[in-house]
Amino acid sequence: MYNPATMAALTATRKRELRRALEAIVGAPGVLSDPDELLVYESDGLTLFRALADFVVFPTSAEQVSAVVGLANRERMPFVARGAGTGLSGGCLPAEGGLVLSLMRMNRVLEVDYENHFAVVEPGLVNLHLSWTVGPRGFYYAPDPSSQQACTLGGNIANNSGGPHTLKYGVTTNHVLGLEVVMPDGEIVWLGGRTREASGYDLTGVFVGSEGTFGIATKIVVRILKKPQAVRTVLAVFDQIDQASAAVSAIIARGLVPAAVEMIDQLTIQAVEDAFGCGYPRDAAAALLVELDGLAVGMEAQAARIVEACRDAGAREVRAARDEAERQLLWKGRKSAFGAYGRVSPAYMVMDGVIPRTKLPYVLRRVNEIVAAHGLRVGNVFHAGDGNLHPNILYDPRTPGEEARVVAAGAEIMKLCAEVGGSISGEHGIGLEKSDFMPFIFSAADLALMQRLKNAFNPTGLCNPGKVFPTKKSCVEVGPVAHRPHAIEEKGLAQRF
Amino acid sequence: MAHTIEERAPAPAPAGPLSLHGLSVEGVNQCVHCGLCLASCPTFAELGTEMDSPRGRIFLIKSLAEGRVALTEGTARHLSLCLDCRACETVCPAGVPYGRLIEAAKAAIERERPGGPGRRAFRWLNFGLLLGHPRLLALAAASLRLYQASGLQSLVRASGLVRLLPGTLPAWEALLPAMPAAAGRVPLPPLHPAEGARRARVALLAGCVQSVVFGAHNRATARVLAKNGYEVVVPASQGCCGALNAHGGDHARALEMARRTIAAFEGARAEAVVVNTSGCGAHMKAYGHLLGGDPAWAARARRFAASVRDVAELLAQAPLRGPLAPVPMTVTYHDPCHVVHGQKIRDEPRRLLAQIPELTVVDLAESDWCCGSAGLYNLTEPEMAGRLLRRKVGHVLATGAEAVVTANPGCILQIQQGLAAHGAPVRVLHIVEILDRAYHA
Amino acid sequence: MPDGLLDTLRATVGPANVLTGVDLSPYVVEGRTPDAAVFPGSTEEVAAVVTLAAGAETPLVPWGGGTAASVGVPAARAGIVLDLARLNRLLEHEPGDLTATVEAGLTMAALQAALRGRGQWLSLDPADGERATVGGVLAANASGPRRHLYGTARDLLIGVTVVTAEGVVVKGGGKVVKNVAGYDLPKLFIGAWGTLGVIVEATLKLRPVPDAERLVCVGFDRLKDAGAAVRAVMGSDLIPNAVELLDAAAAAALGVTAPGAALLVGFDGLAEQVEWQCAELGRLAGALGGREPRALPPETWPRLAAGAAGPGAVAVMTFSVLPAQAAELMEQGADAARARGLQTAWAAHAGVGVVRATLASEAGRLEPGPVAAALAEWRELARAGGGQATLERAPLAVKALVPVWDDPGAGGRIMQRVKRELDPKNILNPGRFVAGI
Repeated sequence: MYNPATMAALTATRKRELRRALEAIVGAPGVLSDPDELLVYESDGLTLFRALADFVVFPTSAEQVSAVVGLANRERMPFVARGAGTGLSGGCLPAEGGLVLSLMRMNRVLEVDYENHFAVVEPGLVNLHLSWTVGPRGFYYAPDPSSQQACTLGGNIANNSGGPHTLKYGVTTNHVLGLEVVMPDGEIVWLGGRTREASGYDLTGVFVGSEGTFGIATKIVVRILKKPQAVRTVLAVFDQIDQASAAVSAIIARGLVPAAVEMIDQLTIQAVEDAFGCGYPRDAAAALLVELDGLAVGMEAQAARIVEACRDAGAREVRAARDEAERQLLWKGRKSAFGAYGRVSPAYMVMDGVIPRTKLPYVLRRVNEIVAAHGLRVGNVFHAGDGNLHPNILYDPRTPGEEARVVAAGAEIMKLCAEVGGSISGEHGIGLEKSDFMPFIFSAADLALMQRLKNAFNPTGLCNPGKVFPTKKSCVEVGPVAHRPHAIEEKGLAQRF
Repeated sequence: MAHTIEERAPAPAPAGPLSLHGLSVEGVNQCVHCGLCLASCPTFAELGTEMDSPRGRIFLIKSLAEGRVALTEGTARHLSLCLDCRACETVCPAGVPYGRLIEAAKAAIERERPGGPGRRAFRWLNFGLLLGHPRLLALAAASLRLYQASGLQSLVRASGLVRLLPGTLPAWEALLPAMPAAAGRVPLPPLHPAEGARRARVALLAGCVQSVVFGAHNRATARVLAKNGYEVVVPASQGCCGALNAHGGDHARALEMARRTIAAFEGARAEAVVVNTSGCGAHMKAYGHLLGGDPAWAARARRFAASVRDVAELLAQAPLRGPLAPVPMTVTYHDPCHVVHGQKIRDEPRRLLAQIPELTVVDLAESDWCCGSAGLYNLTEPEMAGRLLRRKVGHVLATGAEAVVTANPGCILQIQQGLAAHGAPVRVLHIVEILDRAYHA
Repeated sequence: MPDGLLDTLRATVGPANVLTGVDLSPYVVEGRTPDAAVFPGSTEEVAAVVTLAAGAETPLVPWGGGTAASVGVPAARAGIVLDLARLNRLLEHEPGDLTATVEAGLTMAALQAALRGRGQWLSLDPADGERATVGGVLAANASGPRRHLYGTARDLLIGVTVVTAEGVVVKGGGKVVKNVAGYDLPKLFIGAWGTLGVIVEATLKLRPVPDAERLVCVGFDRLKDAGAAVRAVMGSDLIPNAVELLDAAAAAALGVTAPGAALLVGFDGLAEQVEWQCAELGRLAGALGGREPRALPPETWPRLAAGAAGPGAVAVMTFSVLPAQAAELMEQGADAARARGLQTAWAAHAGVGVVRATLASEAGRLEPGPVAAALAEWRELARAGGGQATLERAPLAVKALVPVWDDPGAGGRIMQRVKRELDPKNILNPGRFVAGI
């Protein structure tokens, strides 16, 4: 348990020295060490986990990041980069103490090349702000996680973030051309670049989605896309969840790849209607939000196929958004859904399983059964087209025993996804939350290979320790790196409870 | 220190509802920590530190109420730096009542960390004396007018004496509006008859600072309302609505001013209370909550609150009555926080402007971001206010507009000063002024 | 090769599945004959063979269709060819999931034929699909003209099974289209030229076969104008699936007559969409000096992937540059070669900036000096604009003068560390790849 008194007694002198060293790199206003201030950095978007850093620092350049990382190496202090802290797996938590590098002061758009369709940005740039920047010239950045109004590109790189429109356009990794990276030893290196191909291994490809364990991206080259000529958004309303699930496969079976196919269930509809009154019918068992984009020519014909597929699956109502305002409102409801659960529950835990989309009806039924068996409620709002589920288990952390039931139900859902040939994370990352579920889908040999890859980037393990790999007590990594006393413990600065 | 990752230890079951300074902060439990508010917060955008973000502040308020942290200088600092612009409320899917939470926190700060004698004097002067006593405010205004007219102001500004003024006074000084001459400060007539078919009888909040500094806005408001069929009464007994006190943490006086205001307007027998200042409108719409715990006043407060309308909100209920003369200008619109976030009025002013012939309205980037005025914020936090003002002025200049239209005197003063400091010949107008011009061109 | 290894290999995969001696002629690369070629019949047999080779520290050369066998730094040591031709099954195809899992030795053509029968396809169209295998295409990161819209292997591979350099079977990714669990191992093996592991299975994202598809050609008098037309297409609302820019020589090799240059653009989708786009292309290109667009027969597609090499080709260099620089590189590169008396043909996937140059010498006679000088100058041209060059094919005498791969800079050290971690005994295609890997 967090205890400022203990910390002050243990670390006062050493902390002062380290603070001075950090201030020498980023300046005094760029270092936080007051426990009351560190407190707000103890969680990301998933409040189930919390961990306190010794310092939060705010570098403004790759050189400063490199110098801070160099210091951390010399002092054997673990470090982790943080963007907006909207992640949902505890991935940016300082699991073993040490330094948090907040990249929020590195948020510039450095270059936009409209002729070659790319932009060079800093990692603290908010995802949506990139689309705002290039929007007036008719471009946008395609990956659109639901937190895009707040989350940063750097965080998107770490998690290989997705979003509703990844069905057609792919996830973050499909849009990253190159990265300037501060390696875990402090060296500044370019991976990839501005062109499509680079010599050697696809280090950019393996860096994206490495959850901050391979280094810290300080410049990001991403593709920007031309805005489509036309967009059509269709809302299909169903009286049974099974009908909505079936409609997803029916759409795909008709040879269509919509830009997005999202499902939203009744509990969630009611929460978002309370929040913003977006126009989803409150009495529907489920609704599908299907978006087509592309050429204006042929749009009608394609929309007709969608409508027909939904009707055949039993939709009671299918209609297209009348105008851009209505379309935006429908999307606002979809993208605000997680937060809207705050209206019906003081806390929720979102799962992020992926399943083959043909298994959707079966898995949704099982999810609802599992959660009900634990005496809990679940809201489902997810990327149905990709089979990327987001069951949100609602709970009250103040009710004794409820959290344990949430965790147990979550584990069962993860197992279910693995059993039907799916995955335990589609876009939120493994982080701290799902590390112990990794053996559901990966063998010891698979994990050992991943550990070797990690060793090539991060041999000391100081860069974001305790993530991705299964642990016993959140601090032991599998593979060649055995448990050793934490750097700060070794120095007598802290003790493990 | 223990570097453990805990599954969130069940927070100690609170003895009762969470509160600060006797004010409920139960709303903190609605926050699910999603972080969607972060990028909408001007102070977070400027500083990048999460203690200065809505989510961080909610977490601090929660921790204060739970006793996890003490109200240290540092914690008070982060909470005081909040603009109370409520941009976070607009984007919050969970419906966290942020405005109420921060007001409770500011009230706690005022009680527990009242600051030194200078700060107390500042507060007494503003909250206790001037805002509560319109006549004293008028007197102060007359002195200001003298200060400006005598040339002393230019002398003081030129001499660098300004920099010697203590604390927030330089900011105050720079902000001084050009005081209207005496003729411009005469009180409004108590009744404006409706023109044409009578729609309704409405009562106008003349405001405290507003009536003194921007009497012209009130007169324009009355004229435009009259043109649109509204009979406008101006209750003589009204005073300050108490918004600045509430935002500044002066909860006790805020309650008293609310009661006085309700009483003053109940006598007017109007169907609506019309407001042309954003903070007052948002605050008066919340009287029901403010006085909810007072059995003698709760019902009256709810009734009153339900009758409050921003002037644009009221006018936009129907198409403007013609004829409207052309106003051949290019303008941009800045959303005052307590209009757009506090009262969720976003389209109405734009719809009104769109009806004026030959008026071109161009979009303003971050139009719904605080300009830094924020009640008395530009006086209490001049540094952050200045940063936000520069940001706002940059966006205004990028539009190339001849004038910024907005709907709140605080914003007008602040943006005017920012543009003037930039030497930019861009005017700042209240929306009623431009409507009035269309009627009286 | 150590004594006895051959016998053990025969015992492992069966005597008929180990070739030696004159039977090895298809596996002779750049004059070097391997010690043996082994045909494992299952993932387990692949693992067993790799384990044996690792134990003997004998180099292994994973082999698919052999279409890119000569790409890379010439091998210093002969080794054992690991031919995956027997691993050629389509393991799973669930149309509703738009995914398929295949064995690495399945040819692209066989896979596409099976998928098309059920209305789907793998949107990857590298050259020589009759011979090229899925595993080989992944290892070489091969692609074709439709990469313009559909991307490359990294956009389509969602799961991979590899046998590591120590003979362990390892899976990365999965069978679902969206997956961030664990590190993105599929990316690691794409384009790694078999230096990190032997790909034995792959799970791929599929697409529905479009209603209609058409490839049209617009002729231009000057390459510069065709380049301007590429930029105009890129800036328009058109959604082509291929944007190919060919100089006159490359166009001629393809059998397309074009005065100075040819712009080939592909469209797919609903018939009405293809129609509209062809018309719109004509309008855009016409304004820039383009002739009337004319449709090309579907057989042109696979030949585009091969980069339209002419007769007498002695060297091929590929480039990745900014798309807007492709036409300029083609012009300057051709000039640089012409100044040395060398004939060239240039073709580009212009929308993505991937350019392929073929260098021919008169009457097939080769002077390594001028050829090397031209290639070096080309590489400089590409690098100056932030691009990259690979000497894909060249005689040994030229490879001795011009590096096959660009220097990957500081990233090269990370690549070396990755190689050391994954192949500590350096037995998988040793020395073939960048940075000495």
